[in-house]
Amino acid sequence: MAAVTLKNVVKRFGVFEIVHGANIDVEDGEFVVFVGPSGCGKSTLLRMIAGLEDISGGEIAIGGKLVNDVEPADRGIAMVFQSYALYPHMSVEQNLSFGLRMNGNPKADTERRVKRAAKILRIAELMKRRPRQLSGGQRQRVAIGRAIVREPQVFLFDEPLSNLDAELRVQMRVEISRLHKELGVTMIYVTHDQTEAMTLADRIVVLNAGNIEQIGAPLDLYDDPANRFVAGFVGSPKMNFLAAQVVGNDGDATVVELANHGGTRLRKPLSGAPPAVGAEVVLGVRPEHFFDTGEGDCDIAVKADVAEHLGSVSYIYANAGPEELIIEREASRQRASGDHMVVSIKAGRSLLFDKSGARIR
Amino acid sequence: MRYQNATAYRFLAPYLLIFSIFWLWPIISSFLISFQATRTVPWRFAPTFNWGRLIGDPAFFNALKNTLLILVIQVPVMITLAIVMAVLLNSPLLKARGLFRFAFFAPVVVGEVAYSAVFRLMFNLDYGIINKLLNSIGLPRIDWFSNVTPAMAVIMIAVTWRWAGYNAIILLAGLQSIPQDVYEAATLDRVSKLKQFFYITLPLLKPIIVFCAVLSIIGTMQLFTEPFLITERGGPGGGTETLGLLLYRQGFRSLNFGYASAIAYTMAGLAIAISLVQLWLTREPK
Repeated sequence: MAAVTLKNVVKRFGVFEIVHGANIDVEDGEFVVFVGPSGCGKSTLLRMIAGLEDISGGEIAIGGKLVNDVEPADRGIAMVFQSYALYPHMSVEQNLSFGLRMNGNPKADTERRVKRAAKILRIAELMKRRPRQLSGGQRQRVAIGRAIVREPQVFLFDEPLSNLDAELRVQMRVEISRLHKELGVTMIYVTHDQTEAMTLADRIVVLNAGNIEQIGAPLDLYDDPANRFVAGFVGSPKMNFLAAQVVGNDGDATVVELANHGGTRLRKPLSGAPPAVGAEVVLGVRPEHFFDTGEGDCDIAVKADVAEHLGSVSYIYANAGPEELIIEREASRQRASGDHMVVSIKAGRSLLFDKSGARIR
Repeated sequence: MRYQNATAYRFLAPYLLIFSIFWLWPIISSFLISFQATRTVPWRFAPTFNWGRLIGDPAFFNALKNTLLILVIQVPVMITLAIVMAVLLNSPLLKARGLFRFAFFAPVVVGEVAYSAVFRLMFNLDYGIINKLLNSIGLPRIDWFSNVTPAMAVIMIAVTWRWAGYNAIILLAGLQSIPQDVYEAATLDRVSKLKQFFYITLPLLKPIIVFCAVLSIIGTMQLFTEPFLITERGGPGGGTETLGLLLYRQGFRSLNFGYASAIAYTMAGLAIAISLVQLWLTREPK
């Protein structure tokens, strides 16, 4: 087991800077997920930790040892690739033992490690099969098994579940979570799927365009996002953003007028300095934080465009002028396209952002 | 459905007609000719005439021996060289890759007569650059075209020069289809580049290598141009005569079409048999 520390890590491809000074402290035994949209630099960051990409600047330490110039195989890490990267011409058993055999590891120890990995991942009956004879989930198990046999200090996962179907993804998510508990080692996991991040991570690192937007526990990011990007990225369905303008400040609260809702005003208590009167702001409301008429601090009228009924919950995709809102309602099966409805917003269940996306607290 | 099929066949008819006349019929016809004595007028059906002669003809066995010798030495050397060239072409360290790719492929495009003439000049006893090079490093000149072994070597060198690059390009396509992350996984497993080549690249490249080997076997079985032009009709004294050349000599100089057809079918049969053995030996385990 080992902690992983990134200090001002920079990655450049030619003149293009992809990662702009990343600072991350992954604690020993922690499960950290790097999440962000495609091209945000999360996989590049992971590959730099693995040593598969050079570091253009900064320092990476694993277990307190600087590894900038250490060969990938000597970093004490194992990596699970998105495409599994299994050796197609070898059996499962050969895939698991290949690295150990090539390095002259004693046969008995190799067999012990392979058997242990097979037992942990419940793939003992697949040992003689080739990768092409396995399902996606089984292949991913073998890929994880290949990482386990190395007995690494740190596991790195590069979008390992993206090639699996939805059901298998959920199943493998649980398996990986179980594996983390069982092995107790440090795991760094890259995904663009915020659900995976929320369900697996001890802490999430949200990346955007090569910058770290926020690091925190999943629910902390959900409840208390640092900015509009994190608020919009974490949570499914995503947070709604309503254009607003500050029309006055009233003691420890600011009063905003919703631009597309006929002058509806909301008094929003703040703990910090209020924005200037006249400033354009954005009010963030999660889909589940729309309440019945009169229950909140202000009401807005919307027209349902599409209603998705999932059984226990319904999502209503509604229009209010140019804004499209997603409203989550429990037991709202009677709503249909074209319905007019009024929903209520609570000041305490909404977030305020300035024009640049920074949070106004 | 039947109407649609009929329409499809009507569209295919011109091709099928040409295919039948100029491809299928000659194949069948030459097979039938191989059972006829064609040195008499009119030709007469004599099933054992040509095939019987084949079994006892020293010229045939000489040509067969020469062809198989070239096959056994030149094809493995060329394929090995092609693999090395493909790996070098695939290296990220290589600059001007496009230029090298063109240079390796260029010999295939060069006219056969021109390239044969150049090889004859290069290996000329008195003026050839090869003998000048040998002299410059203190080695004696070699009379390449008067002795069988050097003449055979020239043919093998020429064929290798001509086709190694072509095979390298095919192998390069195979190399580029091996996913990069397999190598990355091996790197993380502390597997050296050399071991990666032998344990990952070669096994994954096997189907392409087999494909190139089969193509080369078929090509070598038909080898004609080089012994005809470079060593002047299989010289010295038939020492480099191949089956292709024997077929030409029998068919188009002696006008013995029956015997030439029998040789042609033997060449095709051998190519198929060797290729099948090759495919069987390198088959994927189930």
